Amino acid sequence: MIQHLLDGILVGAVLSLGAAGLTMVMHMLRFANFSHAELLSIGAYSALVFDALFKGISPVLAAQIGLLSMTGALALSMVFSMVITGISAVIFDKLIFRRVRERGEELSMVFASFGLALIIRNAIGLIFGLQTKLYSQDIVFATVLSRDPLVLVKPDQMATLGITLAIILLLHLNLSRTTFGYALRAVAENPSLAQVNGINLQRMIVVVWVLGGGLAALAGVFYGLNNQITPVIGRDLVLPIFAATIVGGIGSIYGALLGGFVVGIAANLAVMVLPSGYSPSIPFLIIIAVLLIRPNGLFGEERT
Amino acid sequence: MIGLVSYLVFFATVASILAIAVLGLNLQWGNTGLFNGGVVAFFGAGAYGTLILGGVPQDGQLGGFGLFYPLALLGGMATAGLLAWGVGILTLRLRHDYLAISTFGIAVAFENLMRNAQWLGGGAQGLRGFERPLRAVLGDGFLYNILFLLCVLVLMVLTYRFLETLVASPFGRQLRAIREDETAARSLGKIPARIRLTAFVTGSVILGLAGGLYGTFYAFVSPQDILPTLTFQIWAMLIVGGAGNNKGAVLGAFLIWGAWTASGWALSRFAPIEAQLYTGSIQYILIGLVIVGMLLWRPQGLLPERLVVSQSGRTKT
Amino acid sequence: MGVRNMKRCNRMMVSTLGVAMGLALSAGAAAAQDCTTKIGAVLPTSVDWGRPIAETAQFVVDQVNEAGGVAGCNVEMVLRDSQVDPKIGVDAAKALVDLDGVQVLLGAVSSGVSMPILTSVTVPGNVLQMSCCSSSTAFTKLAEEGKTKGLFFRTFATTGVQAAVGAKVAKDQGYKSVAILYKNDDWGQDLQNLIAKDFEALGITVTSATAINDGQPSYRAEVTSALSGNPDALYLGLYPNEGTAAVREWLSLGGTQHMIMANSLKSNEFRDNVGLQYLGKTFGTDTASPRVASADSFVAAYEAKFGGAPNGPGLANSYDATMIALLAMEAAGKDATGDQIAAQVARVTDPAGTPVTADAAGFAAARDVLAGGGNVMYQGATGNVRFDANGDVSAPAVVWKFSEESVEEVEYMSLTDVDDFIASLK
Repeated sequence: MIQHLLDGILVGAVLSLGAAGLTMVMHMLRFANFSHAELLSIGAYSALVFDALFKGISPVLAAQIGLLSMTGALALSMVFSMVITGISAVIFDKLIFRRVRERGEELSMVFASFGLALIIRNAIGLIFGLQTKLYSQDIVFATVLSRDPLVLVKPDQMATLGITLAIILLLHLNLSRTTFGYALRAVAENPSLAQVNGINLQRMIVVVWVLGGGLAALAGVFYGLNNQITPVIGRDLVLPIFAATIVGGIGSIYGALLGGFVVGIAANLAVMVLPSGYSPSIPFLIIIAVLLIRPNGLFGEERT
Repeated sequence: MIGLVSYLVFFATVASILAIAVLGLNLQWGNTGLFNGGVVAFFGAGAYGTLILGGVPQDGQLGGFGLFYPLALLGGMATAGLLAWGVGILTLRLRHDYLAISTFGIAVAFENLMRNAQWLGGGAQGLRGFERPLRAVLGDGFLYNILFLLCVLVLMVLTYRFLETLVASPFGRQLRAIREDETAARSLGKIPARIRLTAFVTGSVILGLAGGLYGTFYAFVSPQDILPTLTFQIWAMLIVGGAGNNKGAVLGAFLIWGAWTASGWALSRFAPIEAQLYTGSIQYILIGLVIVGMLLWRPQGLLPERLVVSQSGRTKT
Repeated sequence: MGVRNMKRCNRMMVSTLGVAMGLALSAGAAAAQDCTTKIGAVLPTSVDWGRPIAETAQFVVDQVNEAGGVAGCNVEMVLRDSQVDPKIGVDAAKALVDLDGVQVLLGAVSSGVSMPILTSVTVPGNVLQMSCCSSSTAFTKLAEEGKTKGLFFRTFATTGVQAAVGAKVAKDQGYKSVAILYKNDDWGQDLQNLIAKDFEALGITVTSATAINDGQPSYRAEVTSALSGNPDALYLGLYPNEGTAAVREWLSLGGTQHMIMANSLKSNEFRDNVGLQYLGKTFGTDTASPRVASADSFVAAYEAKFGGAPNGPGLANSYDATMIALLAMEAAGKDATGDQIAAQVARVTDPAGTPVTADAAGFAAARDVLAGGGNVMYQGATGNVRFDANGDVSAPAVVWKFSEESVEEVEYMSLTDVDDFIASLK
């Protein structure tokens, strides 16, 4: 049971990062963006490209960092990948979402995001092929934390968890302490009033997309590190990430973090109770349960 | 020539069945504003319900009651309605996008159930052993397909008429009232929750009808038929055709199903040999572009909702 | 046209063709035919394991065209993506039959798509349907009820053989307890049902049987629960995609390296992503290729064309399905209808017939034999394919291990051995 709990937290870290980005976008732009999870795909594949590039340029970078299967090249690639994904997110907004926002209503944006997700997913499949890819083929063995009860963790997952917590903390501090953070939150609450106070709305929207894209890229790379890289990463993660966002409450970064862990833990504990064939339903049963008790999610507020 | 006609009959049958489903969704979304993300659950309940009630017994499975076909179809519709009633009570009070995700989750849970509970629906192998009605008499050929198409068209027209009447009726006005201004409606003594539930269940019963006809047409249903992609397809049809407009719903069904099948056919016919293996992915990209393009160009759909003015403000002179 | 006229016409065409082909082959260029016969294929090309299956089918068509085509005409394979969606697959099949007029349909892969195609399109349309990979036992039942009208064949050996051989490996290796990880689709569920019974019949405990769903973000929970029973070995009924994820997770959590795999994991991608160093004690099961030179030439030709061995789910089956369909078309002659072609399938898979190899030269040799009125025994990539009355195949079995180049055979069981073993389990 402890193993399952731990697994849930470790798996949930990736979901938390994805949910953090999504919750910001949903709160700010007020629509359910089903293409957000494809940004994880873009992030994972960009990192793959850069990783190969850096490994080729300098063999030093190809050495693994400590016990992890992550190499120096991959760590560097992560940064580049975050930039690329952030830029992609802004481009998608400019090309599609902004225009739909002006012309249609929320449902149109949701649908446009579905359509966009289809395009991105299949374009990645055409460019990179449909086979499974990995950052590193080495299998890193788990460390035994305790023998009885048997508790195992993989170093990669601990690193993922650590970095996730650090990033979330940074993000929260930024949003709650800095002027920039205040500006962002103001724009999310009341765009017109914020503009009256001199905040550039367009610039804030771009920032949200860049942040969301960057977090998604990080989540994508961690997912690829701990699992594998395929063009359907977006399709597979979109619903657990949505579940995490909704459970935590839209607009709350800490909520996204908690939501990710809740979904991860629930999915792992559920296998103890239900046959594993029902695992895909678990995130939703959680959502329904949470929403029945707290209709705005754990940390969400009533939205206008 | 005969081949073309035979194919068109087949195509039209599937398009009409899907059109019935879109009509049901139109009642839920277009008229009542309920974002039903789990369309496929009610569709599937109708399909599985009809096949379980009307089929031949299979070992190790529930079902095979061999009921008279119209009863089996009604049974399928009732199953969908019952499921909708339960889901509605739990989730209809939720916000917009939360309702979508919750209903989506119900659909995923339903598919999981049918995939894993082998005693209920045959598991991943699917539910077979269903004989299409009157097949023994009419055989399997062109004649049967034409007659089946006629029956489906009749049902589609009946559903359309029913919904048009509903929308023009006092109940339809109630739906518009709670959609536009719930507080005002409540002040007039209407109970939004009950109205919404009625609309949701009615729409789901229509979805169940479509599902039952679908299962009957293929004489087979499996978890592959009730994946989320069908929800997406039905929604796309409604969005493109025009939410809130029943004619738009039918138009959207034929257009989107036509686009989906025609793009597959065109790619296999005209794409160069080297690209043949990739036509699957290319087709998805084209469909995504169509959806996005449609939303950029005409987000209200091809046939937008006609606003009905029940009484003009002008006094009679 | 009368049958005798057709045969004479055929013979004339064949002898002319024979000369032409000889000239063409010696000139090194493929002979161009002036007519085209179409066959249809409905396969999931937008899925990672579906694309190679379609590629293999096209490879066969190319080889046959190189050998002069079927009944004097070039073969064109019209490929449609099924998108693993039954209504799309059925529509594609209907378009192929009605608009393109195909009399032979290859497809589909998942039983959920093949079944409605069979009942709604190919049987009413009198078209031959040959599936490489649909495993559901429902097809056998359908055939027994007479509903397939002899039009449905599949080159996919029934799951019963795969399960039995898997159980035998466990017994031979002395495993007392096994955990099962199976793909949660019709093939995987079937396999798990059958092998669990076989294990029990052999006195081996099944500590757990865990379903693996497609496309999950992590299989940690499933792997952890399989680990908890502390089994001697792990049985895998998975495809390379989720198989890689599950096995890597299993190994990194300290799971035993004693594993048994179904033939679906016979893929280089799987071997490379897991690592040969961890697969030393892993055995796989499969249906056997014949111990003849032709099998090697098939592998060689495949490697020459695609740069890799024909490992991977369904590839060898796809090859055989396509080749047998084309051989039957050749036997039935020009302008034959689907049911006529279906009737010829027995002629090209006759155990007493002249053996032919699985390549262009083999097709040409078969053509000559068939023209002379004789029967042919096609020695395919999956073995000496022989269909029973229901269009199913049973085949000899092989146990294999991964090696540097691709796979090496560990044990071979003839058809009688397999049948005897299965009987002993009852």
